[in-house]
Amino acid sequence: MRKILAVIKREYLQIVRTKGFIIGTVLGPVAMAALIFIPMLIAMASGGEKKTVGVIDTTGEIFADLDQKLDYKMSDGSRRYTLSQVAPGSDIAAQRNGLSRKVLAKKLSAYIFIPADILTGGAAEYAALNVSDFDEVKRLNEALNAVVIEKRLKKEGLDPAKVAQYTRRVGLKTIKVTERGEQEDVGGTFVIAYVLVLILYMTLFFYGSIIMRGVIEEKSSRVVEVVLSSLRPFELMAGKILGIAAVGLTQYAIWALFGMAASRYGGMLAAGAVPGASGFKMATIPPYIFVYFVVFFILGYFLYSVLFATIGSMVNSEKEAQQLLFPISMLLVVPMLMMMLVLKSPSGSTSVVLSLIPFFAPILMLMRICVLLPPFSQIAASIGILILTIILLIWVAAKIYRVGILMYGKRPNIGEIVKWIRYK
Amino acid sequence: MNALEIENVSKRFGDFCAVRNLSFRIPRGTIYGLLGPNGAGKTTTIRMVMNILIPDEGGIKVLDRRMDEAMKAHVGYLPEDRGLYPKMKVGEMMLFLAEIKGMTKVKAKPAIDRWLERLELGEWRGKKVEALSKGMQQKIQFIVTVLHEPDLIILDEPFAGLDPLNVKLIKDIMLEFRDKGKTIIFSTHRMEQVEMICDNICLLNKARMVLEGSLQEIKKRYGKNTVVLDYEGDGGFVKDLPEVVKVDDYGRSMEIKLRDKADPQSLLRSLVGRVRVHRFEIQEPSLNAIFIDNVGADHEKDTSGH
Repeated sequence: MRKILAVIKREYLQIVRTKGFIIGTVLGPVAMAALIFIPMLIAMASGGEKKTVGVIDTTGEIFADLDQKLDYKMSDGSRRYTLSQVAPGSDIAAQRNGLSRKVLAKKLSAYIFIPADILTGGAAEYAALNVSDFDEVKRLNEALNAVVIEKRLKKEGLDPAKVAQYTRRVGLKTIKVTERGEQEDVGGTFVIAYVLVLILYMTLFFYGSIIMRGVIEEKSSRVVEVVLSSLRPFELMAGKILGIAAVGLTQYAIWALFGMAASRYGGMLAAGAVPGASGFKMATIPPYIFVYFVVFFILGYFLYSVLFATIGSMVNSEKEAQQLLFPISMLLVVPMLMMMLVLKSPSGSTSVVLSLIPFFAPILMLMRICVLLPPFSQIAASIGILILTIILLIWVAAKIYRVGILMYGKRPNIGEIVKWIRYK
Repeated sequence: MNALEIENVSKRFGDFCAVRNLSFRIPRGTIYGLLGPNGAGKTTTIRMVMNILIPDEGGIKVLDRRMDEAMKAHVGYLPEDRGLYPKMKVGEMMLFLAEIKGMTKVKAKPAIDRWLERLELGEWRGKKVEALSKGMQQKIQFIVTVLHEPDLIILDEPFAGLDPLNVKLIKDIMLEFRDKGKTIIFSTHRMEQVEMICDNICLLNKARMVLEGSLQEIKKRYGKNTVVLDYEGDGGFVKDLPEVVKVDDYGRSMEIKLRDKADPQSLLRSLVGRVRVHRFEIQEPSLNAIFIDNVGADHEKDTSGH
């Protein structure tokens, strides 16, 4: 056991100290948070720039109301949009041309052209250097829209306030029925399931590859025979797998801390940055999901890391390993493709069967647990099948590994591998 | 007391038989040469001694105990396919390799320091292994083989890649270990090294043992039917002389095997006048000649068969 511990320690320190791990673990979430929050903070700090917008109102009755509606304030309380009315002349085209030149010369931020038929269905035009600032276009559009609709309603003798009241949209809340009663679902279930499954998929692949690379490195540097003169091949494999598992759990723990911090302060930040976001509720994740997540990560990790380690032992280089990796990648990709199917009908018989297949179980059973908690018997069955498969796999893999790590030269074919398994 | 006992050991890989019915014993406190051409079964034998491979038949006793995992701590092995962890720091890697041999950190650290100093590698402790030259890596490899003070030390080509100074350094350490009662199995293709160091030898060829015993006795068995000649001139005619069975010609020196009961004096007479003789010595055959004698004919037959 002391020997396995020494191997675990070596593997753990070797990986945890690499730049890749530090970047992936610490900077990854920081970078992600930065990507989300920095633009928000910048937007909040600057509050946008002041804009002078020219308006050619050919109807003559829109400008005043629009000026009133576009009442966005800067942080110092001054108006954000200053509208300057341009009386429509006889040659509209020449007039617009002149405004365009002003926009080019940056004397105007933009200009709006309101056609005479706007009340009967014509479209206004917005001309600026940059027309991809969706927020700005949306703000102007909404203001104009409100003004025009009000005008139309008044023309028909209707009260805009009443109409707005009558035509208010009906909401449709989604309620998730669970054993613990009904809970309002804020659309988080799908997102959580997706994020967790994606993390699982990526980490299984990532740590599997690390193990494979480690085995190949020991083999190609020929240090493996020195190590085997001190311990059993099985001890080496076990130490490797457990050491990298510890790396994975460390990474998860760090991410979980980030996640907790993000959900605590992130909501506040978001609320401060975007007016209206305060109504956004962070989806609450039931704790049992995390428990199952860790359980299925560990089981999935053992299943796949054993496969990866075995492949590493059979080849001489990473290049050679690529071909053998294809079937394993398929085992991981297929459940990702089946995800939609499981989401649509999480307790349908196809989903049940798929989530019991050991190689798919970690991803698909976790998915099912996230969207609709299956009966415990099914979860237990899939965990049981997984454990049995892992034991069986380790038994076979240890035999292949034992021979493979000392074999150099041609990659073995299936016949040879069967022979290896039979060696005493 | 024997350091190693191998009794009727066989090992097959599928249809290929790597070691066939091998038996020998190595007394404690001796240096034993394990010899043979490539593919003779040396590495398989060593791996079975190390419990890396399990024999199909027969038994192996190390230090009078059946070989098992616990015994690995009493054996040090420097494989021919040597290797270290290239990305690890020298000191950390040595500590790891000591720990999996069962050494505690407290015991291993001073031992590592002592050995690094002795082999003039002290300042490399914090460097990555891959930054070291081949010769330095080789010395590190030697240290980690003996760091845990094993009673049985297996060295497969320990001098490969070392300059003469370092060869002497390692050889002296080997003799020191022997004098302390440790046993060394020394495997190499350099017969002159074996002749200088080994007490006993075992020669393997094609999975079988062809020679075993004390080096002196083996040589005596071959008798004084060998002439070592240092010469100048064209010695091509020598192999056709009636007294001669076989010649190993090195250009300025040759080893001549005489026919049974042939008179060396008549050979000398035939030589004088045709080449300049600098040295003419009747002696036991060199281990090199014995090796070629036992293995070479077989190999030539093999290669001509293809």
